[in-house]
Parts: sequence; C-alpha cells; structure tokens
Amino acid sequence: MSTQDRSKQYMNPYLAGVLLGLVLLLTFYITGRGLGASGAVKSSVVAAVDAVSHSHATGSKYYSQFISDDNHPLNSWLVFEVLGVFAGAFLSGALAGRLKLKVEHSPKISSRTRLIFAGLGGLFFGLGSQFARGCTSGAALSGMAVLSLGGFLAMIFIFGTGYVVAYFFRKLWI
Amino acid sequence: MKEELFVSGRDIPNIDPYLNIWHWQIPGYLYLGGLAAGILFFAALYTILNKEKEMQATVKWASFIPPIALVVGLFFLFLDLKHKPFFWQLYTTIRLESPMSWGAWVLMAITPLSFIWAGSYLREAWPKWDWKFKFLYDFEAWVQRNRYWFAWPILFLSVILGIYTGILLSAFNARPLWNTSILGPLFLTSGMSTGVAAILLLTKDKTERHRLTVIDLILIGIEVFLIIHLIMGFRASTAVQIEASRLFLGGQFTVVFWTFVFTLGLIFPAILEVLELRGYHLPAYIPAILVLFGGLVFRFIMVEAGQITRYLY
Repeated sequence: MSTQDRSKQYMNPYLAGVLLGLVLLLTFYITGRGLGASGAVKSSVVAAVDAVSHSHATGSKYYSQFISDDNHPLNSWLVFEVLGVFAGAFLSGALAGRLKLKVEHSPKISSRTRLIFAGLGGLFFGLGSQFARGCTSGAALSGMAVLSLGGFLAMIFIFGTGYVVAYFFRKLWI
Repeated sequence: MKEELFVSGRDIPNIDPYLNIWHWQIPGYLYLGGLAAGILFFAALYTILNKEKEMQATVKWASFIPPIALVVGLFFLFLDLKHKPFFWQLYTTIRLESPMSWGAWVLMAITPLSFIWAGSYLREAWPKWDWKFKFLYDFEAWVQRNRYWFAWPILFLSVILGIYTGILLSAFNARPLWNTSILGPLFLTSGMSTGVAAILLLTKDKTERHRLTVIDLILIGIEVFLIIHLIMGFRASTAVQIEASRLFLGGQFTVVFWTFVFTLGLIFPAILEVLELRGYHLPAYIPAILVLFGGLVFRFIMVEAGQITRYLY
C-alpha cells in the first residue's frame, strides 16, 4: 500500500489530537468532569465480583467502596461513556471502511505472540491505573486538562516509562 | 423513643401505592408476542403481494420463529398466573371490551396458524423430514396450494396481536404511564421492527436485505415519532402523567431508556442502516441485534416503570 493511500485513510494526527481535546472540553462542559476508560472496566469487575459473591465483594476493602445498596456498580457514567465509545468507534470504522476482525502486528511476530503481549501489557496497565486512580484518559488527559500535578506526573511516567523500556521490547514491533 | 403511627387505607401489599405483580414474564411475553406478530405480518404481506421468491427469508425461513416465540411467550404468561389450573377459563368467555379476552382469543387463532404456516415450509428447510402419515402430506399439499388464503387471516391477526401487546398495558387505567392509547401503535411498530430485525439476521439475499432495511428505517422513524408523542402527551396532561413522564426525564429510568432503547436501540441502528444503504460495508447483524435488544429493554422498562406510577399521592 502506498503512502498516499494510507494518508487518505487515516486522519491527520495533529487534527485528531485537537479534536480529542475538544471532546474533552465538551465532556467537562456537559458532565462536569473529565473522560475516563479504566473506571468502566473497574465497575464491570466490581459488578461481576458482586454478582458471583456479594459477601466477598462487601468484605473486600477495595471492592466494598464501590458497592452500595441504592446504586448498582454498573450505574456509573463511565460505563455509559465506554458504551458510547464502542458505538462511536464502530461508526468511525464503518465510515473509514476498516470494519473487519483482524490482529495488527509486526510481520516478524505471530498473531498469538501479539495477543499474549497485548494481554500482558493490558494487565499491567489495568493494575497501574488502579494504583494511579486513573489511566491515560482519566488521570493523564483529564488530569492535565485541569492542571493537576498528578495528571502531568501520570502522563510523564506513562510515556516516559514506555520510552525507556521500548528498547527491550523493540523486537515485538520492528 | 420516637414513634410514628401511619393510618392509611392505601397500604395494600404489591398493589398500592406501587404495583408489584408483573415481573420478567410479562415483558418477556410482550416481546415475544410482538416479535412473532412482526415476522408473521411480513410473511403474510409478501405472500399476498406474490413476492415469495424475492423474500425467501421473510416468507419461509423466519416463519419458524413465531411458533416457538408464541409457545415460549405463552409459557411465560402461564408462569405469571397465580391460579395456573384455571387458565382455560379465559376461553369460556368472549368479552369484546377486555383486551385480555382479545389477546387470549387472538393467540388461540394465530398460534395454530403460525404452526401450520411454518409446517408448510418445513420440508423445504429440512428435506429429510417425514410427516409419517399420508393425511399430513395431503394437508401439507392443501396448505401449500392455499397459502394466499392463510396469509390474509394471519395478516389481520398479527396486527391485532401486535397492538394487543400494547393495549394490554394501556387498558390498565389505574397506572398513568400505561393509560395512553399511543402504547398500542407503539408496541405494534416496535414489534414489527424487531420482527424485521430477526428476518434481517436470517436473510442472505441482497435485494431482500435492502428492502427490509428500508422498512426497518421507516418503522424506526415511526417509533421515534410515537415515543416523542408519548412523552409530549404526558407532559401536556395532568399532574400524575407529568409525574409519570419524569421517570424518563431525569427519574430512575432516564439513563436506561435514553441509552439502551432510544440511542442504542433506535437511533444508532438507524444510522448504521442508512450507512449500509449508502454502500458502506457493515456487518448486517449488528443493527439487527441492537434493534432486538432495544425492543426487549423497552418492554422491560415500560412494564417496570408503569407499575410504579400512580394516580393518588
């Protein structure tokens, strides 16, 4: 595929960045708070644990803080936001004509390797996001938008660590 | 000690002030009834229009769903009954002013018809099927010759069935959210839309898919129109109806209704269907599943929310 074709398919990253910033602005305007993604995963996990064993969930120091009698853990705006993200992403994929199931990976590794490492990376990131009380969108992006020091630190360390360890994992990509 | 004494004639468990008698069985049944009505309507319609060849999934393959849906739905209704052994007494009387009587009799007529209809296509779907008895083969041949004459009663009965799933609620005039005549057409339209969505899941033919997608879009449009009018009607009505509409406008059903029913169950699939008609490549099952899911959630919400609306405060 020539470079020209690809440029036709993907949006200019700077423009996309500005648009993302505007989405964030709109989110603050409409909901009074920033974007997030890991919160929805957390709510799903809490809801699942609560459904399997209510006593375990209420007994746990971590899970119990998200469980109350008058509000279901999934009744969180982040869960709905992520539903919207799925719908919007699907629509965007359809409009761009890229709607098919595939695993993108470097030609030097197999799909399986890619999925295993993606899973591992996701696992670490999920764990980290709970230590940091937010992920790239919730802590870094939304945090920086309101000039929170934590937000800046999160952003620096997420990308800084990525930059530092990239060398060791370069064979997964190049 | 602080003691409060309430004296009220309105504390009737499970009835007043909140109704708490209809659980998952009723919305489940209303959904399956509407779905069956929708599929049967279009199967009959395209048979009458003599388009069986172009609309094979609509007329033939989807027709195996209604008998199953109706039997399962009726079983749900049976589960809901308090005095199960007396269900047959519905068939000892005809009361034109009672929607429940209408429903019972319409189901009595349309369920066997749906079995006969599907049965007449059974050997096309499973050529190895053996009817065992000669008279069944004769009957099958007779039905196949007279499908047109079966289609007409099915067409009418399916409309009555579809409307009845809404009227059943709206006849309940002690609950302001249900007591509106829009529910009949709204449930009919929604049932037809879910029926079309179910057929869309089965069809492989491009022309058929295109035609059904257009129909579904029209139905979604009508549904949105009716929902807006339902809410506007409540808003322009008495205090109890305004109070009932608040359940969807800031109250406890707001998020579920506007997210799952209105956005993900109507608007989003409509956008996807428009894109599909314009030639974008989309997995066709996604809008269909969303419509089916939205219809299900809609019935659960309407039954649940209706029970907690009331006239006296």
